[in-house]
Amino acid sequence: MRVATDIGGTFTDLVCLEFDKISGKPIGVRVSKTDTTPSNFEEGLLNAIAKSNLNLNEVDFFAHGTTVVINALTERKGAKTALITTKGFRDVLEIARCNRPDLFNFNFVKQPPFVPRFLRFEIEERMDYKGEIVTELNTDNLEAIVQICKEEKVAAIAICFLHAYKNPEHELTLLQKIKNLLPEIEVIASHEVTREWREYERTSTTVLSSYVLPIAKNYLNKLEEKLKHNGLKNTPYIMQSNGGITTINDVKANPISMVESGPASGVFGAIALGKVINKKNLIVLDIGGTTAKCALVENGQVKITTNYKIDHSRTKAGYPIQTPVIDIVEIGNGGGSIAWIDAGGKMHVGPKSAGAMPGPAAYGRGGKNLTTTDANIILGRIHPNYFLGGELKPDYASIEIASEPLCQSLNATKEDVAKGIIRIANANMTNALKLISVNKGYDPRDFSMVVIGGGGGMHGADLARELQISELIIPPHAGVFSAFGMLMSDLRRDLIRTNVITLIDESKSSIQNIFADMQNDAIDKYKTDGFQENLIKFTFYADLRYAGQEHYVKVELPNFSKNTPLDEIINNFHEAHKKQYSFSLETKVELVNFHLVAEIEVDKPDFPKLKISGKSVEEAIFAFQDVDFDDLGKHNTPFYNRDFLEPEMLIKGPAVIAENATTTLVTPIQQLTVDIYGNLIITML
Amino acid sequence: MEQFTLEIIQDSLIAAGDEMFKTLERTSMSPIIYESLDYAVGITTNKGELLAQGNGITAFLAALDSVVSSTLEKFNGKNSLQEGDIVIANTPYAGGGTHLSDVSIIYPVFYKEELIAFTVNKAHWTELGGTFPGSVSTVATEIYQEGMHFPFIKIRSKGELNQAVIDMIKVNVRLPDSTLGDLYAGIAAAEVGAKRVITIIEKYGLETYKKASVSFLDYGERMSLEALKTIPNGVYEGVSAIEDNGFGEGPFPIKAKITISDFEFIVDFNGSHPQVKGAVNLSFNGLVTGCRSIFKAITTPQMDANGGAFRPVKVLCNPGTIVSAESPAAVSIYYETMISAMDLIWKILAPLIPDKLPAGHFRSVCATFISGIHPDTNQFYIQAEPLAGGWGASNSHDGNRGQLSCGSGESYNIPVEIREMRYGIQVEQYAFHNEGGGYGEFQGGNGQYVDYKILSDGAYLTAAFLGAETKTWGMNEGIDGSYNYFKIIRKNGGEERHSLGTNIYLDKGDIVRCATATGGGYGNPKDRSKEQVLLDIKNGYITKEQADIAYLSF
Repeated sequence: MRVATDIGGTFTDLVCLEFDKISGKPIGVRVSKTDTTPSNFEEGLLNAIAKSNLNLNEVDFFAHGTTVVINALTERKGAKTALITTKGFRDVLEIARCNRPDLFNFNFVKQPPFVPRFLRFEIEERMDYKGEIVTELNTDNLEAIVQICKEEKVAAIAICFLHAYKNPEHELTLLQKIKNLLPEIEVIASHEVTREWREYERTSTTVLSSYVLPIAKNYLNKLEEKLKHNGLKNTPYIMQSNGGITTINDVKANPISMVESGPASGVFGAIALGKVINKKNLIVLDIGGTTAKCALVENGQVKITTNYKIDHSRTKAGYPIQTPVIDIVEIGNGGGSIAWIDAGGKMHVGPKSAGAMPGPAAYGRGGKNLTTTDANIILGRIHPNYFLGGELKPDYASIEIASEPLCQSLNATKEDVAKGIIRIANANMTNALKLISVNKGYDPRDFSMVVIGGGGGMHGADLARELQISELIIPPHAGVFSAFGMLMSDLRRDLIRTNVITLIDESKSSIQNIFADMQNDAIDKYKTDGFQENLIKFTFYADLRYAGQEHYVKVELPNFSKNTPLDEIINNFHEAHKKQYSFSLETKVELVNFHLVAEIEVDKPDFPKLKISGKSVEEAIFAFQDVDFDDLGKHNTPFYNRDFLEPEMLIKGPAVIAENATTTLVTPIQQLTVDIYGNLIITML
Repeated sequence: MEQFTLEIIQDSLIAAGDEMFKTLERTSMSPIIYESLDYAVGITTNKGELLAQGNGITAFLAALDSVVSSTLEKFNGKNSLQEGDIVIANTPYAGGGTHLSDVSIIYPVFYKEELIAFTVNKAHWTELGGTFPGSVSTVATEIYQEGMHFPFIKIRSKGELNQAVIDMIKVNVRLPDSTLGDLYAGIAAAEVGAKRVITIIEKYGLETYKKASVSFLDYGERMSLEALKTIPNGVYEGVSAIEDNGFGEGPFPIKAKITISDFEFIVDFNGSHPQVKGAVNLSFNGLVTGCRSIFKAITTPQMDANGGAFRPVKVLCNPGTIVSAESPAAVSIYYETMISAMDLIWKILAPLIPDKLPAGHFRSVCATFISGIHPDTNQFYIQAEPLAGGWGASNSHDGNRGQLSCGSGESYNIPVEIREMRYGIQVEQYAFHNEGGGYGEFQGGNGQYVDYKILSDGAYLTAAFLGAETKTWGMNEGIDGSYNYFKIIRKNGGEERHSLGTNIYLDKGDIVRCATATGGGYGNPKDRSKEQVLLDIKNGYITKEQADIAYLSF
């Protein structure tokens, strides 16, 4: 039995795959959703296990994703942290990058640093950009620093020296000294967390990793112990932001790698699904209550970036975290997004969300604002019996009240307002989808779109039409797809190192040496976790740019070896630059970052197949209702129960497919088929 | 239902603006573009009305629409623009003008042979030739010393690049790869925007698109008028000065009279000093940009920039003053004067709207240009960048520390680790200083020191730090802040303090210390709590000695 659990902001999801004991074939999927318990996350997890009657004794593989890190960061609940920097640079953390995204607001307030100035210390030492020592490490004032840390009851210390990405020698020495002096305090040095340049970003990453370390370690320890106590034989795997899983010990050393694990696993679930149904180019869209997230998968691969930030918005600079995160675009548009009118009379949808409490007006919990979900109800797109998993009926009176002010200021009917909300929400999502596709030189028509999350099925059909995506896929259990994705993830480490090298023949051996060094590093780390070298699969990437540029384009180096001609790499870069930015240059090409992916494939299950009993498709219809398809007209539309749909069934639009966690819309110009794995596949008629 | 379609078209235009912005950032060759984001991109109607603008800095708000207007003035009638044309311009005294370093790419967009829009961008290219590296000088007396001048010429004609101009650029600038790289990046960005505009028109139809443009401009105007209602009507006046023209002469007064009604925001700079010898002159177009920035700050700071929003703004100033300079005045450090003009309006209005405008900030770009030979690569380099300093306190919070000036915005400092590889410089410190000032119930943000150690002989520094003689201003009994200046600390121990300087010779081992001012305080210092003062001391934002004197309750 294989189990994955995903603790999200609102719900804790559990997905369990069971196998036939003799044939080893998967026979079924069990899914459960329980409330997340923020004060004690592992309780919610144990509740989910109890709710699905799981016997942990029978579980061979247990994967886990959690929001414990992102929660500690956004709610400022981490440990009291100190920072030690190179002399003259303790204010780098507070000065940050000096930018002001809210550029015309002269009365803005800068976001405060995670470490106050009195806990930011300096030590004499200096490397130059080549990694050569300019000033030797002088730890004369270390004892004084240690003393203050004790007095102030500091629980974690971050160290970040200039150019340590290139030469970590001084950081290593200091790290050891502090560990000896303060064995009870957590210490992280920047080179353990990231080997990329940009001192502010690296300092910020190290500080945030230290800040969450005690809380994350404590959580992971308790989790491990409780699971073991309940009968789990093997240690659990932990989901990271790069879309791979890793061992619990690895995460304990650098917990910041878990920061975006939920969205990452959803995308990797879609990739795994794509492999099975032979679709390698995917646009993955995950629509939740507050946000929509999307990512582009090309040839079964999703890009990894280290330009991630928390608390970042159009008006806030945010805090950078230089850890490998899959390249996701997130916008403030989900089912709970609120429609509102500004002083100039223009309607907007989101980014403010009604959340789970009070939720959309239709929840009847006192929500006074009209949301995207309410608009879908007004247009008849959600069946009252299937609202919120059938747990309650939409509160039509509240919807009426909430729509009143919008109708008045726009001088429009409730239906027109609802259509307007859906159009604006869809336009927002279309712009996000264009950001990852058209804007990067990809034609959406070359992709299939996989929609997941509670709101994916509701908007997918319109978005596919808009972007002329020929095929829309709504997988089974789309509402708990992140957890599902974890079952399909491999062990993965992303090693990234800045080392600027011009791509000329003389630099060939340095390039090989750096990659070889990184490979050894990965092998050592996997060996510590008990994995053999021969299991590791390496993939090589390089961040390349034209000499003189600052930004770069990531290019895969397929089958990189010492025989790989540089010309081939350079030509691939010219093409990639041209694809993304519409021009290429004859200037020299520089390699900025070396990026090595080291994966160990986990024995993964097949996707379970649905049985065909020969039922007729009409048997799945449970109601007819008027549904407004906006420009495609209002139609008396059949509502199908997804649980009764079987492979090879064909449904012509208009239609609505209802299930517990989500609803799928098929417009009058589309049709739907069901494949052998139970995926709903929508195409144009 | 049409109104929703119009709104979606507007949002799509803004998204197209964002995409142009990213393209230019990610492909350019000048750190001042890709880190400082000293550029703007936009889409205008076929008449030059601004529909969408992506900004890195606040300073280009009047640059994009007016550069299109000037383009249309030149290319009309028989000489009108053709499909495939691209115009390039950097004339300071015409539409879009700031200084020669800011080059505009103007791209006419055609749909079925009809000119229906312009995509345009304006970016600071690091090198355009002229007397001094970086094309900036504090001692230029005529524009001819400040680099190449492109007087609205076609860099591309019916799809054919003008190789003659490109060859001219190549031999007239110090970093031809970088300069031409920026040209191609600008063209690529404009092209991306043009493609998106066409896609929008193909989807919604030309008529609907045009309707959306009109409705968007009207919407911008409505938003501004709504906000204007919240500002007390009246006539307000003030005087300030440009301290120095780079030749030790000055100060030169600038005057502003502001008339605010529910319908108009009129700024009259008549009575300001005539244009001066030196490069601190500001063109009228630059003045309009400064006025628009402040107007936006106090009306619709979060709304996407939109030409209609500026309809209530009127700027008055006869030609030939230091804030409305004419040819051939040198203008390469126009930005210092533009920020001084903004600061003057800010200081006049802040008492009326203290929730929108805090006390005075360090009001200088504090830009430095250091050129030399890299000790390892033997390559010529120019390091050009704005510096961060202290902002003023407001009635609700202490001043921000470590931020670029009001003339910048979504602009970034250059990381030490990148800088040290690219340039022959080692940074010795990057830290807040304790030069004092800014005391108040709310404390002004600390200014900072950046120390550059020069690593090879024969480097040169050009810099302009106005504010070396005048402190940042406190507000409502808050105490004034401190000064901007830079200092050369010679390796033999000698020290020189400067405000403006051009091509100052530097040897290996010399240190350039840049000091940016602490912002002004807000409110009476006696109203600051003792705990807060103690915490400031603990954090080292002020010293014990300063607290003893400044905070009497302490």
